[in-house]
Amino acid sequence: MNLLMSRDDLIRWLELLLQERTLIAPIRVQGLLLFQPVSKVEDIAFDFDNTTLPPKEWYLPLTETLFSVKSGDGHTELVPATVEREAVIFGVRPCDAKGIAMMDSPFLQEPGDTVYGERRARTALIGLSCKQARPECFCTSMGSAPDDPSNVDILLTEVEDGYIVQAVTDKGKALLPQGLKESKAALPAPPEPQAVPTEGIVQVARKLFDEPYWERLADRCLHCNICAYVCPTCYCFDVRDYPDDGKVERVRSWESCQSPGFTRIAGGYDPRATKGARLRQRFYHKLLYFPEQFQDIACVGCGRCVKACPVNIDIREIINDLQQLGAKSGS
Amino acid sequence: MDLELIQQIRGLCRDLLRNGEINCVIGYERASDGLTARPFFAYEPAAVERLIFDETCTHNLVKYLSDKKGEKIAIVAKPCDSRAINLLLNEGQIKRDTVFIIGVYCPGVVETGWNRKGETLQARCQTCQLLKPVVYDFLAGQAPVRRTEGERYPDILEVESKPEDERRAFWLDHFGPCIRCYACRQICPGCYCPECFVERLDPMWVGIRIAPKENELWQAIRAFHLAGRCIGCNECERACPMDIPLSLLNRKLEKEVKELFDFQAGLSSEEQPPFATFKKEEKLGFEE
Repeated sequence: MNLLMSRDDLIRWLELLLQERTLIAPIRVQGLLLFQPVSKVEDIAFDFDNTTLPPKEWYLPLTETLFSVKSGDGHTELVPATVEREAVIFGVRPCDAKGIAMMDSPFLQEPGDTVYGERRARTALIGLSCKQARPECFCTSMGSAPDDPSNVDILLTEVEDGYIVQAVTDKGKALLPQGLKESKAALPAPPEPQAVPTEGIVQVARKLFDEPYWERLADRCLHCNICAYVCPTCYCFDVRDYPDDGKVERVRSWESCQSPGFTRIAGGYDPRATKGARLRQRFYHKLLYFPEQFQDIACVGCGRCVKACPVNIDIREIINDLQQLGAKSGS
Repeated sequence: MDLELIQQIRGLCRDLLRNGEINCVIGYERASDGLTARPFFAYEPAAVERLIFDETCTHNLVKYLSDKKGEKIAIVAKPCDSRAINLLLNEGQIKRDTVFIIGVYCPGVVETGWNRKGETLQARCQTCQLLKPVVYDFLAGQAPVRRTEGERYPDILEVESKPEDERRAFWLDHFGPCIRCYACRQICPGCYCPECFVERLDPMWVGIRIAPKENELWQAIRAFHLAGRCIGCNECERACPMDIPLSLLNRKLEKEVKELFDFQAGLSSEEQPPFATFKKEEKLGFEE
């Protein structure tokens, strides 16, 4: 049974949530649309295609202190990071929610990443179905859909009278206000994003490691980190210790396999020294290594990288190219 | 699209590849949106059929010359891009005889993004008076109509007129969202250091934190490293996923250098850049 929430009900509910916990939602900041902590509900953007950055930074922040070590008086103390407040992220698109669920595999498998796990446990996701598919969207080819409720706690779908509410998890049910009416309207048909031929891509990718294709494709790649940083499923990071006044902080920040020097090791050797090797790593992690280890293709089809890449490295085109190369090279 | 110009470029590149004068052409091809352009590397004579040139060819391809050192390359260069070739020549980064420059008369480029093509010329093109490349081996196309001269720094003058605390707040607001993806650096033809200061571990100038203080340091030093060197292709601003108005910083420094040294980067391959020379008669700008 689905429920109906009017637009006024939604505002009142968000105001209530804001009093009880940290509310994170899409907010317009200098022409960007970013998931940010809300101070006033009227700042929230309700009508948008998708945010500039995915909501992953609320689980894996751009920069965070994992723990600090204090010493003095012959005593050393390790202080782990803690998550102080319960949080709700409002306005998450189904593709981005799948991205978060996907990060659980590497982060929560034993030995789990404690601070990630804590944030995950103490944050609820309120999803918002997509009314339109953008030209760069291809979520349905990546096992999600514009109205996919599977990775959020509550999914809202906008209709004429407000929002149809699907309470997906117990965590979601507990958050909902009392007294919502049953929705008589059926869920609207979702928009149809473009299709990308992902069928069998894991097997195909496995045989194309040594193709000259990668070096040629990498010719135009700049090896900036845009694609990785706008990606809902890229989760590489760098860690460094910062000594400061009798205290040491262990800091983690986003990094990416596209950075020249990301894999450089002591002595200067870099096993992925060429542009082609670096570019192949990114796409193989998505299309081969991650699925081999955790089953899913590590791409949710949000299309952010397609849109943001300054030199048009387009994952949809790459999947197409690999399929064609695979067909040519035989089994 | 100017088909005659494209045929000119394709024909030339086909010949250069066929007779082995070069092993690669760096030019433009149609992007995956079917609407705009992207960089393209042609290695075989047949591949030249993919080369295009039109008002969406905004990328400054000179960046790629640093990746192709030691190879014989032909490169398609707009007038602004050609200044970056002079910059690299000035700074001893490339050898003139290894690069065949296909200069293109430029009628200006439009604002583009993936699947998005603007109607009007980019702001930097609207007042640009450099219609012909400053260095080339072959000149393609036809001289476009001279554009009306306009003020190159109206937005700079506006920011300059604000009090210091407002300017500081303005920049901190813009540097705040920086995610330090380094696209501005990676796309810049003037950024070719094998190890960037920002990634140095010893001494660790900036460190790995992606936070306001570090972002400010990164942005300020990046801009200063391009003072008297930035040739104004504006690729950094185009690439920035967080829409930081980097052109304001770059052109402010360009304006300062022009006023102090009467110098504009990349206009000549002979004239030494101001920060690579020292003249005894130069004033330092403070008590002397």
